Amino acid sequence: MKNRTFFAALALLATLPFTSCSKSESKSKLTIALLPKSKGNQYFVTCEKGARTAAAELGAELKFDGPINSDPAKQNEIVENWITDGVDVIVAACENKDSISTALKKAQSAGIKVVTYDADSQMDARTFFVNQATAKGIGEQLIDTAASLTGSEGEFAIITGTLTAANLNEWIKHIKDRQADAYPKMKLVDIKPCDDQKDKAQQEATNLLSAYPNLKAIIAVCSPAVPGAAEAVKQAGKTGAVKVLGLGLPSENKAYVKEGVTQAVILWNVEELGYLAVMAGAAVAKGELVAGATEFAAGKLGTKSVVGDNIILGKPFVFTKDNIDKFDF
Amino acid sequence: MSQSTSLKSLLARHEAVLVLVIIVEVVFFQTLGRNFLVGRNISNVFRHSVEIGLLAVAMTPVILTGGIDLSVGSMMGLCAVLFGMMVNSLGLDPWVAGLAAIAFGALGGGLNAVLITRLNLPPLIVTLGTFSLFRGLAEALTKGAESYSGFPQSFLALGNSNIAGLPAQIWVFFAVAAGIWVLVHHTTFGRSFRAIGFSPEGARYAGIPVARNTSLAYVIAGAVAGLAAVILVSRLGEARANAGIGYELLAITAVVLGGVSIFGGSGTVGGTLLGWVALAILNNGLTRISDYRIMDQPVASVARELSGLLTGVLLLAALAIGASTKTLAVRRARKQSLAQKSATS
Repeated sequence: MKNRTFFAALALLATLPFTSCSKSESKSKLTIALLPKSKGNQYFVTCEKGARTAAAELGAELKFDGPINSDPAKQNEIVENWITDGVDVIVAACENKDSISTALKKAQSAGIKVVTYDADSQMDARTFFVNQATAKGIGEQLIDTAASLTGSEGEFAIITGTLTAANLNEWIKHIKDRQADAYPKMKLVDIKPCDDQKDKAQQEATNLLSAYPNLKAIIAVCSPAVPGAAEAVKQAGKTGAVKVLGLGLPSENKAYVKEGVTQAVILWNVEELGYLAVMAGAAVAKGELVAGATEFAAGKLGTKSVVGDNIILGKPFVFTKDNIDKFDF
Repeated sequence: MSQSTSLKSLLARHEAVLVLVIIVEVVFFQTLGRNFLVGRNISNVFRHSVEIGLLAVAMTPVILTGGIDLSVGSMMGLCAVLFGMMVNSLGLDPWVAGLAAIAFGALGGGLNAVLITRLNLPPLIVTLGTFSLFRGLAEALTKGAESYSGFPQSFLALGNSNIAGLPAQIWVFFAVAAGIWVLVHHTTFGRSFRAIGFSPEGARYAGIPVARNTSLAYVIAGAVAGLAAVILVSRLGEARANAGIGYELLAITAVVLGGVSIFGGSGTVGGTLLGWVALAILNNGLTRISDYRIMDQPVASVARELSGLLTGVLLLAALAIGASTKTLAVRRARKQSLAQKSATS
């Protein structure tokens, strides 16, 4: 008897796929799917804010979904679910470049357009990469800001992540080049690695302060080093005398900026990044932005330049005492 | 005799409840969701959960013996990294490297087995140790950052193509599940797992080589974790130290939901499969609901959070129902025997 109900249930289950047909989605609205590296990260929550603004301006539907833990398979699964949904374009920030590319290529062969932002995929897995900042832009903004804080003269030091990190070295190279060209009275005295740890950065900064009593500024090119250097300067009682600036999240540095220990935090405007990514995705989906373009009209952001297959967000943003309260990432 | 039949009928009832849960899920998601019962999505349900399914069926014998293996997810990370190194650095054929990864998995399972059966250490503690050890090794080998990719298309096809309308890897899974089912339910060897879990002392007095048979369960679990790693890498196209992170708990959830007693001694491979299917459908189905909102968000975009929550509810409900039917049955039996006693006196 029990067996009979079991098999009846199984039979019912087996017929279901055939008795029901899939609902057709209304295709009038453009559907844009935005994939963050992780969903809870304040950085991407801010991206989403900009993305929502763009979607509203475009009258498009925006799907925003991402992993909530570090399982490397999750981004792929989300993309595959979007393929099932038949979205028009996927705009992705890639956590694991090679694995996500497998899924993005699948999307492409299903006729879905792909644009990446923040962190790129393999080149053949997307049409464009919305590049938040070029190495040149970051390096030059850092040294320009340092120059304006120190009156373009005196000794400065750099704290980096590791001496082998390619992207950090690229930025440092642009800092050096620009300094040699534009600020001859400034002198780079030392470059110290902090292994991407705040404590180590603080220790290195303390050493720098005692080794170079005439130091005017510390530039931190990795994010943990900015609060690390600030703490060292504060404890050495050199607040204001030695300027601290670097690349990092405003939220991590807010306290030091308000105390006047850290003068400037540099980062691209994350909300604008989300906005531009969605604008670019929509334009690619509609066929308005195609390979070979040299510029792109990005709604309220104005015209952005396109270099090769990179859409450039522009100059990094400088967060200071005056504006840092307006940002929550 | 009556003890075993009542246990058997309880399990059968549990499995019937799970079938019902699965039917309810299917009807629910088909009604509220979009593109649920369509070929591509049905494929995705299984494609995305094969690795956890593999871990769950291989975990079943372990739990039947009264043990547990927390190291299988970390083992996946280690095997994925070893696989990637063998293919990229040593230039090995992916299929040969795949077999080697399975062998490494078996070796790791062997380490668990030796510590558990020879040194008589509790499985929970031993595999908690290897949980950290295997993941740590994987991270050390890759310095936490390196990953391996660029595998040949023929290998990626295992994770991304269909055979006879179903994901290619599901056929591998069927073969493994069938193998473990036969082992557990149709060999004397496999039946000893439940005997060991029911009473290790009793099993020993009955002449069962307890240490040897228990060891085998852990070796199988390790080997299957190696296989799951290879399948995951073929699906993603990238081997990384964080492969399979957290999968051990999802696998244990499927096993327990399937009615296998966490204390060992009772349960079936079929139950585990049903538990796994119920969870796989839940995980996928929620991502299909985009027309209904919960807490001001489309259900689909909070699917992962919800599925975690609902998995907990489902598991606790299944356990509670199981426990209460058992208590009821015991109470009824006691009442009956009391009634008989009073009738005879």
